Amino acid sequence: MKILQALRPEVCGAALLIAGIFGAASPALAHHSFTMFDMTKRLTLVGTITSFEWTNPHAYIEIDVADEKGAVKHWSIELGSPSILMQSGWKFNSIKAGDKLTLIINPMKSGQAGGFLSTATLPDGRVLSNGPRQEPPPAPPQK
Amino acid sequence: MLWCAALLPIVPAMLFAQSAASPPDLTGVWGIYRGGPASDPKFRPPAPSLLVLKPEYDKPYQARRAEEAEAAKRGEQLANTSAECIPYGVPVMMSIAIYPVEFIQTPKQVTIISEAFSEVRRVYLDKPQAKIDDVAPGYYGHSVGHWEGDTLVVDTIGIKPTVSGYRGMPHSPQMRVTERIHMLSPEILHDQITIDDPVVLEKPVTYTVAFKRMAGDYEMVEFVCDNNREYVDEKGIVRLKLHNQ
Repeated sequence: MKILQALRPEVCGAALLIAGIFGAASPALAHHSFTMFDMTKRLTLVGTITSFEWTNPHAYIEIDVADEKGAVKHWSIELGSPSILMQSGWKFNSIKAGDKLTLIINPMKSGQAGGFLSTATLPDGRVLSNGPRQEPPPAPPQK
Repeated sequence: MLWCAALLPIVPAMLFAQSAASPPDLTGVWGIYRGGPASDPKFRPPAPSLLVLKPEYDKPYQARRAEEAEAAKRGEQLANTSAECIPYGVPVMMSIAIYPVEFIQTPKQVTIISEAFSEVRRVYLDKPQAKIDDVAPGYYGHSVGHWEGDTLVVDTIGIKPTVSGYRGMPHSPQMRVTERIHMLSPEILHDQITIDDPVVLEKPVTYTVAFKRMAGDYEMVEFVCDNNREYVDEKGIVRLKLHNQ
């Protein structure tokens, strides 16, 4: 009995935990990968919303951003799905056209005016994130 | 203590009779449960078994994975079904990101609805399984189930080969999916999924999707793929449509 009990914690526990994390992560697919976005870079956009699209597969914030010279560039910012967003406080009517927002995004690698939302500061000062952790699951080891 | 001993043979029989007469109710909305360092070890899903394809299938499978890895290094994603709003089917619909799954159980049927893509599958509890050749191939196949004690055992056949496979595996019309679904506690549900495909696989592969009951009065959210910004270009790369004015 004592030997079996000794085998359970620490070594076996750690191995099972690691296997469990990969095992649990491997079948759970993301809708699409994040390869289009540079997840290592962050950009701050301050601007006015032209539309908030509460839709599947992804919600979108369409936003006009003025640069320091006053020239306006339009950005399309991708958020998680409504289901995922609701888990971090978003509602379909949290923001609307005309609202002024500060967005922190991971920009597109292509250099196009688009990105993936990290956080949004709403007109009332609340800061909402883009749902629970959006990073893709680690690639499970095959061997 | 002797009166306790006298009861011992009766108690298991009573419990079994209770299970056979009234199986547990799986009805509810269940979120994906990953466990994690702080979680109770007995609720964590066990590790999956190895996916081993037969050599003639493994070669193109590994080549595709290598292509995907190379594309990812270039910041590109190769075309996949969900980029074109095509749903996942069985069994992949049971474990999509963090989207919950709803079970609606009646004595003759368990209906399972995934929030991702609003996919619906029906498990019939009062019918025998059909022959594979008699099932029109589709995304969900034909599922029948029966109770073994507290475990719902589900058998599914008839999933067409173009439907997304577990970990991107190819599969033949002969694929058979067996699930053993049971609650480990009122809050934790495990779906142990075994895929058997004698044409493609060297041996069956088994993995477990774990669920935790959604808290509060969670209502499933609809999913109509009505604002899909993704499209596949002529090179098979997924691109994003931006609203540039």
